[in-house]
Amino acid sequence: MSTILRHHCQLAVDRRRVVGRRHFLKAISAAGAAAGALGWTDELSLRADELRQQGTACIVLWMQGGPSQFETFDPKPGHANGGETKAIATSLTGVQFSEHLPRLAGIADRLAVVRSMTTREGEHQRATYLMHTAYLPMASVKYPAMGSVAARELSRPDCELPSFVRIGAGPLGSTGGGFLGTQYDPFVLQAAGRLPENARPASGMDRFDRRLGLLARLDDARQSTVPAAALPGDHQKLYQNAARMIKSAQMEAFDLERETESMRAAYGTGPFASACLLARRLVESGVTFVEAVLGNWDTHQDNFSRTPSLCGQLDQPFAALVTDLADRGMLDKTLVVWMGEFGRTPRINPRGGRDHFPRAFSAVLAGGGIRGGQVLGATEEGGESVKDRPVTEKDLFQTVYQSLGINSRKEYMSPIGRPIKPVDGGQPVSELVG
Amino acid sequence: MRIGHFLGAVLVVTAGWAKAADSAGTEPAVAAAATDQLLNEELFQHLPSGQTVAPTTADQPFLRRVYLDLVGELPTPGEITAFCLDRSPDKRAKLVARLLDDERFGRNWGRYWRDVILYRRSADQALIVSGALEKYLVEQFDGRPRWNETARAFLTAQGEAAEKGETGLFMAHLAVPVEVAAETSRIFLGIQIQCAQCHDHPTGRWKRQQFHEFVAFFPRASIRRRPTRPPSFELTSFDFGPQRRRPMAMTGRGALEHYMPDLKDPASQGTLMTPVFFATGQKLSSGVADLERRKTLADWLTSPDNPWFARAFVNRMWAELVGEGFYEPIDDLGPDRQPSAPQTLDYLCREFVAHDHDVKWLFQAILNTSAYQRENRPRRAPDDIPFTANVAYRLRADQLLDSLASATGVSFDPPAQAGPRPGPGFRGGPRFQFARQFGYDPSLRRDEVTSTVQQALAMMNSPLVNGAARQGFLEKLVARWDDQSAVVELHLRCLAREPSEAEEAVCLEHVKATGNPREALEDLFWSLLNSEEFLYRN
Repeated sequence: MSTILRHHCQLAVDRRRVVGRRHFLKAISAAGAAAGALGWTDELSLRADELRQQGTACIVLWMQGGPSQFETFDPKPGHANGGETKAIATSLTGVQFSEHLPRLAGIADRLAVVRSMTTREGEHQRATYLMHTAYLPMASVKYPAMGSVAARELSRPDCELPSFVRIGAGPLGSTGGGFLGTQYDPFVLQAAGRLPENARPASGMDRFDRRLGLLARLDDARQSTVPAAALPGDHQKLYQNAARMIKSAQMEAFDLERETESMRAAYGTGPFASACLLARRLVESGVTFVEAVLGNWDTHQDNFSRTPSLCGQLDQPFAALVTDLADRGMLDKTLVVWMGEFGRTPRINPRGGRDHFPRAFSAVLAGGGIRGGQVLGATEEGGESVKDRPVTEKDLFQTVYQSLGINSRKEYMSPIGRPIKPVDGGQPVSELVG
Repeated sequence: MRIGHFLGAVLVVTAGWAKAADSAGTEPAVAAAATDQLLNEELFQHLPSGQTVAPTTADQPFLRRVYLDLVGELPTPGEITAFCLDRSPDKRAKLVARLLDDERFGRNWGRYWRDVILYRRSADQALIVSGALEKYLVEQFDGRPRWNETARAFLTAQGEAAEKGETGLFMAHLAVPVEVAAETSRIFLGIQIQCAQCHDHPTGRWKRQQFHEFVAFFPRASIRRRPTRPPSFELTSFDFGPQRRRPMAMTGRGALEHYMPDLKDPASQGTLMTPVFFATGQKLSSGVADLERRKTLADWLTSPDNPWFARAFVNRMWAELVGEGFYEPIDDLGPDRQPSAPQTLDYLCREFVAHDHDVKWLFQAILNTSAYQRENRPRRAPDDIPFTANVAYRLRADQLLDSLASATGVSFDPPAQAGPRPGPGFRGGPRFQFARQFGYDPSLRRDEVTSTVQQALAMMNSPLVNGAARQGFLEKLVARWDDQSAVVELHLRCLAREPSEAEEAVCLEHVKATGNPREALEDLFWSLLNSEEFLYRN
């Protein structure tokens, strides 16, 4: 796909603005500016503290590659564009899902299906960035991911695990803390089901402590006696965080063996089932944001033989996660979001595939105070465009942030002295929140 | 210096003074002095109160800096001793000249440019070229590299990706013309003209059409893919066949000409573009064969008439070595932005061109400046005067791994195999795994490159680091030296400097408290490898 929109022009405009901002930056304390991020419209900060205590959390089920809306939540049976995929009834009167999602159809009354997602980015890497940050990539500013913003605003001081965990990231999952700093980067697990890599000391816990002590004493000695070592100096804190995590009792959240057989069976089998179960365990342990990735949705070829299997990997774990969270009384505080970087073309190409299509696709939300049991928006009969109630990526981010209690009008200070909001523009979808 | 390190010293001091090849041109030392003079005039003459120019760095940190910058690893304790004992006034210049001739220079900078090209790849299939690309670049930068020749080789490349590393620029984007054009401009000209892909640049002088005219140099270069195992990719010319590229084609199948899409009607034919080089206005007619197009572009792009070519390289190298570019980001120079010391930059560019783009001449000139040799300080605030100090950066993955190797004496690279090693096999191995965790795009501003918990875990607990710290050399250390000498030796090996008295006291106290010198020294080794100083180039 060569239609890549690169909005570097914005860059030039922003740079001009920066010049004016410099005087402004001067007025801010040097310490605050050096810290990299500084918000000053903290009207919701009191509420945020409250939410930290309550354990507000979010789980994103990320469908890497761009899932077909026709084979999931917006089937078009009877239309040529719908292909051979059949539709089935759901627990919502008059609402149909694709035949490949029987369990999700059974809990449709808990889901809010948005069938009118629309963006303008159809290239994987850039669309992935867009749907993770609400901004297009730009050379001058690295925007923080949704998970990083949530980690910054909602992470709980009593949680010793990383506040943002990504399970099963592919090569495109490179968004993270951006200018908010690497402390808000996702902690990436290649797969669920075992302890994170290098999380066990190579030398036994006593010796590990002894070494950490030596490291800290040497660091202090260096800072007081060796001149001209102008290093960032965040090293000790990083090591403290890493050590605290390794030693934490909360690490057992990573151990899926601690679940009962029946609970594991409820989520089903396969890597994505494990990822969903782990996501619930992590949230239970105080983790703020978990992203579980299911890949291979880029069905340019053989869409109709591949999507049943993909949906098979998705249907049971997704449904089990929502049900499990509800059974534990966690669903009201935990927002679950299902999305990918874009949808797929209504027209079926000669290879039996569907290509990239950002103009009209689907996303699903559940829990977190979102009004479930509804379908929002609609596409044309053949799915070529949004017929009703378009929802842009900005609207979606506004909705998510509102559901999580994050003030989206808050401004962070980027390193070049430019205030940046978690999402710039858009409106929360009022039918879903508020 | 301790007596124990005299021995290695003798060998090193005898290393010769490699003279610059260009006897006719300006000596690097002269150019360095002129550069400092210009910086003084442009920047330091009227320093605002409270701002100072940092003093020249001491021998030990200087040595470590030069080693990491030129050969990508740490000096040995013997080399440190020799350098510090050397009384000759030109020992720094001699060191720079010697390391420029070291074969590790090619390895270090070859890998750097491999990363510049591949970190922005459009598709992971491009990684198939990684091994050959590295090999090619390493060979280029060993010997007497000339940047114009390197650029020409990349622009006019042809052949099998797994064998011909110079196909890397095209392979990184599977020869998709708009991507190759954008990266050619970014890497060789420091111009991000791709923002004009969809609309006219609001402030720049280049229009959307000019971007697409530039793309018109590339439509016929195409990647032919064969379904072998591993799949093979060949960069070839597509001089016969359909006029237009198939819409939505994912790989570079080639087309005879490039068409600028009609934004209002994306499905329509678009406008036929003839090749025009936006920087100089030189143009070709349509219908010209692929290789001629690309060769012509290489001529125009590397010509002294095109100021951007030298400027982009000088700016980038200056930023890598001094810690901050004349322009930042280092690959976004224009068209209408002001560098922080224009006359200094112009001077260096002029001399670089006069020396026929001799890469090592430029390095030698920059490394001999006072600007390079200053102590480092944290990155300046936006309103402060630039270049008053050098700036530290986190080591690139290869520098870090090679520093681990030189500190521990363990090699992480499997012995070279016979013949080229194409295919996905190269993805295995410690170096690739290590790069996955510690690598970063070298075009990024270095203050955006910071450390993560996962990197800390890898340094603390991975078998790779711990195994290396436990193996081989530690035994000898315990057997041969008393505690104090061993502490010094470990500092020299890991940090390329002696410990301060306070640090030495902490270490000896630890040895005493542990009661087991071998264990205690292993702890110390671990702590030094896990220190912030080890991770950074000062």
